[in-house]
Amino acid sequence: MAYVRKDAGTLTRAEKHRFVNALLELKRRGEYDEFVRMHIAYFSSDGEKGLRAAHMAPSFLPWHRRFLLDLEEALRRVDSSVTVPYWDWTRDRTTTSAPWTADLLGGNGRRSDHQVMTGPFAYREGNWTIKVGVTDAPFLTRDFGRPRAPIDLPTKTDLEWALKDPAYDVSPWDSTVTRGFRNKLEGWSTGRGSTSWRNHNRVHRWVGGTMLGAASVNDPVFWLLHAFVDLQWHRWQHRHRGARYLPATPPGPHDKQHGRIVARHEPLPPWDVTPDELEDVGQIYRYS
Amino acid sequence: MVVSVGGAPVGDADGTPGPGRPGPSGTTRRDLALGLRACALTAALASAVAVFRPWRPGAGPWNAPGDAVFAQTYRGRRIRGVWIPARSAAEGGRWHVTVDGRPLHLMRRADGTWLSMVDHYCSYRTPLEAARATVDELGPGRLLHAPAPGPADGGHLHMGHPHGVRA
Repeated sequence: MAYVRKDAGTLTRAEKHRFVNALLELKRRGEYDEFVRMHIAYFSSDGEKGLRAAHMAPSFLPWHRRFLLDLEEALRRVDSSVTVPYWDWTRDRTTTSAPWTADLLGGNGRRSDHQVMTGPFAYREGNWTIKVGVTDAPFLTRDFGRPRAPIDLPTKTDLEWALKDPAYDVSPWDSTVTRGFRNKLEGWSTGRGSTSWRNHNRVHRWVGGTMLGAASVNDPVFWLLHAFVDLQWHRWQHRHRGARYLPATPPGPHDKQHGRIVARHEPLPPWDVTPDELEDVGQIYRYS
Repeated sequence: MVVSVGGAPVGDADGTPGPGRPGPSGTTRRDLALGLRACALTAALASAVAVFRPWRPGAGPWNAPGDAVFAQTYRGRRIRGVWIPARSAAEGGRWHVTVDGRPLHLMRRADGTWLSMVDHYCSYRTPLEAARATVDELGPGRLLHAPAPGPADGGHLHMGHPHGVRA
């Protein structure tokens, strides 16, 4: 029977406690840092060579869906009652609302060095040392809203802009496309200034600190952000009945995207699974 | 201000790939609910990790077209960038950028802009802009991770240290 992923703002005290404890246990065992490494390894950019599986590509959504399932499975081996909650940033929009409470993810970083000082993932608690990072800081950092050049969280309107697009993705299937649900949700833009980050990318930017870098998985909010992104895929499918993951077939040998992206029935590295097989996971979990 | 740092020592920037870095072990990722088999990540990394091969030096307000070096102090941090030309037709050149002497890995987007390992979810017109944004984000006191010891400069050991990450 499918388990339920809940809104972080609705979790009971016990549910928050168990989710946090399971994360801390994965960290203690060294399993968590492997997830950090994996996300770094699969973040390939579209101005370079090679296959793009996780970002700037149609498989952004199925790749992260499977990545979350892996984390969730690891969490559930620790505590079978745990599921990954989602953070609805269109509703919980303040620096002190869910999930930033001391009994869940803790709050903002302090002004001087952006070090997170509250909650179970604060360095001083002794359970969350950054081991796979892009800087020499061993502590989690956050910089909500980037006060030196303020930026807001994306809104319901921003999400709606993505959700109403009937095409899953469009050629050339990268970060430059201006149509298609995938990139409107992932959030790459060619614009400058505050409009250059949309939806998913903008949330990374708003949280700032660790979440802005390649090792963003070090901040557990990564999972809550991506659970909400994953929920949007589900909503988009529901709204556009019959619409599927694109491209259905791989770009041809003369297409610049040949060998660069994962088509519907191609394996999605590092797993032996296709986007097609990940389009409907209703048998595994659902959202409350 | 952009000044030349002609003659700046530059290591063998392509480096020697180290051993493949293991990802999540198979035992951590057996999503049996999907009935799917996780393949060997080490092998997958070989094809999945993009190699840093921009096409040419970027142009923009901080470094004019054709500039192959830049160096400046920004907010007390030393930023340097050196364009390393292609050594063969099979590979492109690339920028070697450092902040306070520590390598900053950059990636290029299809629109020609650049993103860094520190600021990974938006991109900048030039490598120098990306480096300055990195300094903004680092804040006081924090450094990029120290390069790994080895025959190369340690900044772009893609296999052993994907994208120059402390691990």
